[in-house]
Amino acid sequence: MSEQHENTYDAIIIGAGIGGLVCGCYLAKAGMKVLIAEQHYQPGGYCTSFKRKGFVFDAAAHSFGGYRYDGNMNKILRGLDLHKRITIKRYDPSDIIISPEYKINFWADLDKTLYELQSAFPDESVKSKDFFNFLTNPTPTDFVALRKKTFKDLLDRYFDDSRLKALLSIPILGNGGLPPSLISAYTGMKIYTEFLLDGGYYPKGGMQVLPNVLAQKFKEFGGELRLSTLVKKIQVENNTVKGVISEKDGFIPSKYVISNCDAKQTFLKFLGKKIVCKELLAKLKNMIPSLSIFVLYLGIDKYFETLPNVGSNVWFLPYYDIENLYLSAKNRNTTDLEYYMVRVSPDGKTILAFVNTPFKSKRYWINNKNNFLEAFMKWIEKNTIPNLSDHIVYKEAATPYTMYRYTLNYKGAAYGWAGTLSQFADSDFKKPSFIQGLFLTGHWTTYAQGIPGVAYQGYDTAKFLLKHEKLTFSKVHTGF
Amino acid sequence: MLENVEEEIISIISDVSETDAEEITLDSDLVKNLGINSIKAIEIVVALEKKYKISIRDEDVPKITTPRQIISLTENLITKRATSNV
Repeated sequence: MSEQHENTYDAIIIGAGIGGLVCGCYLAKAGMKVLIAEQHYQPGGYCTSFKRKGFVFDAAAHSFGGYRYDGNMNKILRGLDLHKRITIKRYDPSDIIISPEYKINFWADLDKTLYELQSAFPDESVKSKDFFNFLTNPTPTDFVALRKKTFKDLLDRYFDDSRLKALLSIPILGNGGLPPSLISAYTGMKIYTEFLLDGGYYPKGGMQVLPNVLAQKFKEFGGELRLSTLVKKIQVENNTVKGVISEKDGFIPSKYVISNCDAKQTFLKFLGKKIVCKELLAKLKNMIPSLSIFVLYLGIDKYFETLPNVGSNVWFLPYYDIENLYLSAKNRNTTDLEYYMVRVSPDGKTILAFVNTPFKSKRYWINNKNNFLEAFMKWIEKNTIPNLSDHIVYKEAATPYTMYRYTLNYKGAAYGWAGTLSQFADSDFKKPSFIQGLFLTGHWTTYAQGIPGVAYQGYDTAKFLLKHEKLTFSKVHTGF
Repeated sequence: MLENVEEEIISIISDVSETDAEEITLDSDLVKNLGINSIKAIEIVVALEKKYKISIRDEDVPKITTPRQIISLTENLITKRATSNV
């Protein structure tokens, strides 16, 4: 590591979302000198909470998955000895899917879930069992065989009933922003294995606790976290990363730069067209971001009778044409409310609901935010929570522009690049080969979705970089 | 042309699995010895398909459990592609 002494840092990570924090922790743990630069005043990215009028609201991410004993979140937190610092409870059922005719609970006990599905769709009974068997015991090669398939291909392999397929697809549409015909089978399966079949986990105190304990651990390992620090450029000489330029601190040298923020910004703004290779520039032009979200935050006077159980994600499916539900969300007008997710917070004091929606423009949301908020509340009152409006003491909403403002995710995209087949597992968005020392991590890599996904990518990026540095996770920073 | 394929494939597997190339033997089990999970398995296959302009058929995927099998399958597909291009 002799040459590294010329650098102020061994690695600079742009963005203190979960991916950046996990990556930073594992690099710092191995003895590297790491800086995380975050433009927001608190860490977490989409995994943050805020307080208003005594209520604590989760901003976007509201639960996570992958925390079974051998799940990635569990392994990552245990690897950092954080599992003891944070109390994580699993809410059961994690998800409830409601349509005009059906109600399906996703229980921690998979047999119970399967029984509900089989009772609702007896003709698909055997196929339902086969589908869940496949989802719970997939081998790596099963995933490889699906690399060119959509989630629709997978559903069609098992089921005939279009209503059942729509019910099984609504969490895919909500958590991935794409209908089954467009989302890769891999992404759809991961939403099942990591969000639904092993979902519903929540840290005591709110989602902000997760980034906070990671940030604290990172500092204990000797890492430096600079908040309210906006990166403007990644400095490159002779196709090699030299550091970053921040608005506040100017040039900060580093051997490696890991971008945990959006890929479009990383390539076009931080690097610029002169540095990025032509092929990638051409590819970027055609890449599509995922849909954004409109989030409703409600503070309620008390827990009342018509509310769903605390901590369960309730999905409302108004009808069964899932492709049309997607198109109508994608081309949304203010009043076109259809599917949504609504959830009572684990403390029973607030409600979070969201719908997928395109970015539109800042101006559009300034003009339409309040109408949208009111229409959304009424729609939830009509379909899921009767008498809701009698109990609201505080209401607020985040538009796609709010999502953008707090995270700088391109077009307020909720899940990085849209998880289509053509935008899946593209290594240019993970380890761009035309620049030495640059890595991307998080949900814009085309490899990850959701908290367990980005946490794993952060871990994986750290592991790859440490392999190059011939360091291991076991070596503890001398300053610790 | 095929001389370097073995070395190149081991290098891809080494990169993706974050294991030193020297530690990878032709008969290492990708899942058990090299810790290849679902996304890494896809990464390897996608990298091979891109690099050698080949397409690995679904029915061949379950057969890939060791570097030796990957190398042999890839070499066959490269040869087939070269022949069909003539």
